[in-house]
Amino acid sequence: MKPMLSTDLNVAETAVEKAKIEVKNLNFYYGQSKALKDINLSLPERSVTAFIGPSGCGKSTLLRVLNRIYELYPKQSAEGQVLLDGKNILDRSQDLNLLRTKIGMVFQKPTPFPMSIYENIAFGVRLYEKISKAEMDNRVEQALKRAALWNEVKDKLNASGLSLSGGQQQRLCIARTVAVKPEVILLDEPASALDPLSTAKIEELIDELQADYTIVIVTHNMQQAARVSRQTAFMYLGELVEFDRTEKIFTSPREKRTQDYITGRFG
Amino acid sequence: MSVAMSLHQRRKRKNGVMMALCVIAAGIGLAWLALILGALVYKGLSGVSLSVFTEMTPPPGDAGGLLNAIYGSIVMTIIGIIVGTPIGVLAGTYMAEYGRFSRLTTVVRFINDILLSAPSIIVGLFVYELLVRPMGHFSAIAGAVALSILVIPVVVRTTEDMLNLVPNALREAGTAIGAPRWVVIRSVAYRAALSGIVTGILLAIARISGETAPLLFTALNNQFWSSNLNAPMASLPVTIFQFALSPYEEWQQLAWTGALIITLTVLGLSIFARSLTGRREDR
Amino acid sequence: MTAVSEAVTPSAMRTREATVRRFALTDTIFRTATRLSAILVLVLLGGVAISLITGSWQALSKFGFSFLTTESWNPVTENFGALAPIYGTVVTSAIAILIAVPIGIGIAIFLTELCPRPLRRPIGIAVELLAGIPSIIYGIWGLFVFAPFLQTTVQPFIINVFHNVPGLSSLFAGPPYGIGLLTSSLILAIMVLPFITSITKDVFDTVPAVLKESAYGIGCTTWEVTRRVTIPYTRVGIMGGVMLGLGRALGETMAVTFVIGNAHRISASLFAPGTTISATIANEFTEADGELYTSSLVSLGLILFIITFIILAIARYMLLRIDSRTGA
Repeated sequence: MKPMLSTDLNVAETAVEKAKIEVKNLNFYYGQSKALKDINLSLPERSVTAFIGPSGCGKSTLLRVLNRIYELYPKQSAEGQVLLDGKNILDRSQDLNLLRTKIGMVFQKPTPFPMSIYENIAFGVRLYEKISKAEMDNRVEQALKRAALWNEVKDKLNASGLSLSGGQQQRLCIARTVAVKPEVILLDEPASALDPLSTAKIEELIDELQADYTIVIVTHNMQQAARVSRQTAFMYLGELVEFDRTEKIFTSPREKRTQDYITGRFG
Repeated sequence: MSVAMSLHQRRKRKNGVMMALCVIAAGIGLAWLALILGALVYKGLSGVSLSVFTEMTPPPGDAGGLLNAIYGSIVMTIIGIIVGTPIGVLAGTYMAEYGRFSRLTTVVRFINDILLSAPSIIVGLFVYELLVRPMGHFSAIAGAVALSILVIPVVVRTTEDMLNLVPNALREAGTAIGAPRWVVIRSVAYRAALSGIVTGILLAIARISGETAPLLFTALNNQFWSSNLNAPMASLPVTIFQFALSPYEEWQQLAWTGALIITLTVLGLSIFARSLTGRREDR
Repeated sequence: MTAVSEAVTPSAMRTREATVRRFALTDTIFRTATRLSAILVLVLLGGVAISLITGSWQALSKFGFSFLTTESWNPVTENFGALAPIYGTVVTSAIAILIAVPIGIGIAIFLTELCPRPLRRPIGIAVELLAGIPSIIYGIWGLFVFAPFLQTTVQPFIINVFHNVPGLSSLFAGPPYGIGLLTSSLILAIMVLPFITSITKDVFDTVPAVLKESAYGIGCTTWEVTRRVTIPYTRVGIMGGVMLGLGRALGETMAVTFVIGNAHRISASLFAPGTTISATIANEFTEADGELYTSSLVSLGLILFIITFIILAIARYMLLRIDSRTGA
């Protein structure tokens, strides 16, 4: 077991499990304004962690630090440490492309690339692996099966990814992420643009995927957090207010602010 | 009451007059287009025959065609596009991708917009000083370079605009899968913006295929067939210029026919380009 | 467990690291190429400026400031002055703008307020197609169709009407050549009309619908809404469009060269032939023998470049202000 920075927010159970990602004293800035204030938390391996909180609380910002996607934009900076298997990914020497092959991400709106369904998946695989056509066919099939999309698209793999419905597009994006064999999957409100039926499918999928992947999901939907996650972090105004087992957060939160939020008094 | 009524009526009358003037203005605008196209078709069509496309430009007073001029125009346009497009696309890519938030982009955008509407005859003078004077003679290459300088700002502008329309979420998705920036640009952003960028290139072709001023003292003109890029080359616009101002009826007729060919080409390209982006918006 | 979810093996990880290094290299190359291309755009404009300055050096150092104030243009005695072409350029462009602006704004109002919806797009496209027609077409049409028409009908009529009116009689003094300053101005007006129209229409479209609706709501007529709401709201943008049109008119070469008459003199009459900077260059450059002659023509180009640069910079600055307000 790794030595862990034991804050009062860490629950006993997560401390026992192996931590996949540890966030230590993380601060984040948009220009001059501080968006994340001294965040400390530890995400256990192969389980689902949810970030909840009112909009603007920093939950998406925190997620975007984990694969450093914020680096696409100027004037955004992070300080502190984010350890992936004990190695600080905020280190300057960390190669960003390599980091992102380990930490995949699925976005709020489905973002299929402007290419065929097959190519959407093969694109990411081909970047880092030289494999035969047969192997690639297999990889694409496995990824689509993993995302519970295979049966719906197996006869039209050459159709444009844009021709799918919203829910199917989102599962294609999950398949695409899974296909490059990441260790962590970040989901940024993956179901907020989808209808209830598609949402249920995505949630089912998340449940299955946690057997193999460490999953972090940002959601503004508290029921969803309660349904899919094992631990939940409640954030408010850039601070991590409470982090605990999901049942605990939703049944007997320690903090009054958490209580107020989950009972719908604000946010 | 009657005062209010008359005020109301005066306002209504004024509105009526002003709106009628606007309708008349629109009528005038459309009438010009009709008049110019009408004259062009009327005067140009009577000279259209196979020999226009199969014979060389004639000496004064003889019958002939425009083959060498058409050929020269096509050659110089193609070279101009081949030289100008990559530079324009790359510069537009810098402005919308790598340098989206940089100061350089703001400056380049401003300067590019000025180049976009700068008088083309100035470009001709520039290329004269740059190539023709050092080389000691006029050449098709100089003409093509002048055209490429006109292509660049058009392509820069459309490439930047079209890449800016590509949603950032798509770039983030490409990046999140571990693709380096240039792969995201090539395989995702270019693909998403393709029809827009092609439109820009078509509009650039339309623009340069009718340009005369920058060719006058770069490629000059050539009475005969020439495929030598290092020698003066005929072009349709310059031939039209020369023939139209001549006193010979055969030349004037060829000028009209050439003008019709150019106009149809330019209008065809513009309409085709528009239909490409039109489809895009519908999607 | 399926094949997909199995972890990446150490050897595969090493391959990935090698790939990553290759990516870093290609990315640097590509980024550098795009950056250099962007810089090339600046270099182009700089190159234009430098080549014009070096090319005009000989003439400017010989004639000095008097180049701008001398009317004479004599290749035989090698005495050159830019006053006549500058005068022609400014006068034709100014008249063209005076004619084109009200008509252009009128068309824009027609398109945004009056035109039946199904016709709006086709007419808008037609106006923009007019902008795409090469200037040489306007030139040949002006020379063979428009100028003879003016010569035989309009000009004699105007000369007759005004010949007793002081001031106007010299402005419209005969004989009716057909070609000349006024004809050039009219052709230029037709050429810049589409530019002004399409930009004005674009900036009219930036007026928030609520603003217009609230004006209609208190009982304003269409003209009042346009005059009191739309035009004040978009004034800067319209000015930008006008300046852009002016930039076009100042630099327009071929259309003018056909119908200006190419006479290096300043006449009081608008019916008299004259010349512009660009027409002079187009007509004489290839035939100019002697370094000083060529250099004088390049000096004209430099003057044109400076004038249009200033006008276009103002135009872009004004249009930028509209853009930043609408967040476009």
